[in-house]
Amino acid sequence: MNDLKTLRDVLVENLERNMMPFPVDKGICTGWTRDLPRSGETIIYTSCMYQLAPLFPIFNRFLPYLSALKSLTPLASKLKPSEAQLNRAYNVLRKISNALTAKGIKLAYLYDDEPYSGALLLELGFLDEFQEYAKKVYERFKERGVKRIITVDPHTHHALTRYSEFFSFDVEVVNYIELVEAKEGDGNVYTIHDSCLYSRFLNLRDKFREKIKVKLVEDEMVTGKDTSFCCGGPLAPVDFKASEEVAKARAKSLSKLSKNLLVQCPICYVTLSPHFEGEVKDVAEVIL
Amino acid sequence: MSWEIAVERAINNNVPRVYKILKEHPYILDLAKELREAKLKVLENLDYYVDKTLDSVKRAGGHGYLASTPEEAREIVGKIVGKGKTVVMGKSMVAYEAGIREFLIRQGNEVWETDLGEFLIQLANQPPSHIIAPAIHLTKEEVEKLLKEKIGGVHEGSTHEELVARVRQFLREKFVNADVGITGANAVASDTGTIALIENEGNIRFSSISPAMHIAITGVDKIVPTLADATKEVLVQSAFAGLYPPTYVNFTSGPSSTADIEMKRVSPAHGPKEFHLILLDNGRIKASKDPVLREALLCIRCGRCHLHCPVYRALGVKWGDPPFTGPMGAMWSYVVYNDPKPAMYCAHSGNCKEVCPMKINIPKVLEYIKWKGNKQKA
Ligand code: SF4
Repeated sequence: MNDLKTLRDVLVENLERNMMPFPVDKGICTGWTRDLPRSGETIIYTSCMYQLAPLFPIFNRFLPYLSALKSLTPLASKLKPSEAQLNRAYNVLRKISNALTAKGIKLAYLYDDEPYSGALLLELGFLDEFQEYAKKVYERFKERGVKRIITVDPHTHHALTRYSEFFSFDVEVVNYIELVEAKEGDGNVYTIHDSCLYSRFLNLRDKFREKIKVKLVEDEMVTGKDTSFCCGGPLAPVDFKASEEVAKARAKSLSKLSKNLLVQCPICYVTLSPHFEGEVKDVAEVIL
Repeated sequence: MSWEIAVERAINNNVPRVYKILKEHPYILDLAKELREAKLKVLENLDYYVDKTLDSVKRAGGHGYLASTPEEAREIVGKIVGKGKTVVMGKSMVAYEAGIREFLIRQGNEVWETDLGEFLIQLANQPPSHIIAPAIHLTKEEVEKLLKEKIGGVHEGSTHEELVARVRQFLREKFVNADVGITGANAVASDTGTIALIENEGNIRFSSISPAMHIAITGVDKIVPTLADATKEVLVQSAFAGLYPPTYVNFTSGPSSTADIEMKRVSPAHGPKEFHLILLDNGRIKASKDPVLREALLCIRCGRCHLHCPVYRALGVKWGDPPFTGPMGAMWSYVVYNDPKPAMYCAHSGNCKEVCPMKINIPKVLEYIKWKGNKQKA
């Protein structure tokens, strides 16, 4: 198991400094759009998850050495996803943003001022730190006049829906899937890996099923509500090896169903892709 | 690799079976709801119910003890059993937790686990890998090799049936000659002092009836208000474990007795002469006073959460402090051993909370333990 105390210190330090979990070039987060206004009551909130997710496996491999090499963390800001990885992430975000705009939603985006949600603190059980930090995020939203947040990934959505357990939080949080109109799909047959958070914590499993109009290959023992396993991604900051074992097992059972896999979360994408025998796509890439 | 194969087989055999049982016997879900309420009632006032249970055991002609720690439990068992005895044990996680088997062996007794899975891991000198199927990590081929090495009498390519028959033959003599039988208890009724035990093998019935002395050792969390609640517990546990109907349900209230001669009650009759119940605390009473950890104590050890958990599937016995594995084990490693590390491995997949008969929000409890553990470190 990794040294979580040092990880906590690194997270807290960076969140205090620039409201991001580690040093990052903010240009990576904001490069997907220039068209959206900088302020408005309704925002699309990326928490930089799609943009940074390709880097997570690199960070996770580094974490076992974090205590010894803590001084190297500022170098993280030099890391960049590949062009192809960024294009893919940007494409997902643009598709979601366009689909929301097409529904007549006036969308704003906080660009450089968009803070990270604090999800990692919550998921690692640093609840005091999460509470502290979440309050700051809330203040940022209030300062910018945000009344409604549209999330695009499950970890961020989950973290925001938990804010009210810690303090009074009066901003509406809604996920993009609840608002968009879906297309027929690309004619391919897919199997599906549900996000654990969407499926069993946020009550959005059926919403995704309702919007996904492509043909899905399902098996009650692999893609059922209580039987579909986690991709292993959330375990990576704790123990990368264990996370990989979970990911391999999950990818193996999904590979038996189809060579095309739909995921709903950027972490599931980066975790399962190396092990899945076939092509992995984000739902937004196919239905929007 | 063998773990991957073994757990895959177990999941494919067990998971659909539980769904089928619950569909065919929908009343189980109502019983589970009632049981949760009954157990909560006890956990909210555990000290009172411990006293009441010990009183009831005494009234039924048995002896009741509260052991605060595993050491205390061993001391009590040691005094009752003594030395040079043959002891047969029915499966008990609490006996494992308290280290009873090794202790009695060290004290000069011959001790045999009689549940097939427990017997196998005793021979293999390994910890249990699942709470109701302790040898879940062994494939048939490995079992064959193990039996061949340790007790002989099996041939290459033996069938499942042949392997079981060999163990049956080996243990039969132990049952007949045993002086003491030690079992756990799935539930303890505080109004009557009755223990309830379910099983399919018949080893628990043998262990609790054949020897002259029956010792039951279980956690204080197994107390339920009434015998009716204990009945619910055994039905719910066996259904969610995928073993419904249970082949045997054993209720024991004190030692055996008869009043067949002039209606004068005499003990023993054919069963044990002495009945002892040891209730182990070991962190449970403290946990019962914490509203979040209290939820963990509702666990009835059905083992269902294990087979729906991606982390358990990948890590198996490596996850948790024996005998506690899987999602329930991550909670219980903290309750009993004050170890928050297994909780850190919860990837919040959330299947466990969906399938738990006691509706324990396991990820929530584990998040709380993570928090506690992080604070301890800080
Ligand atoms: S936590 Fe729930 S599902 Fe898991 S063993 Fe206990 S009762 Fe069964």
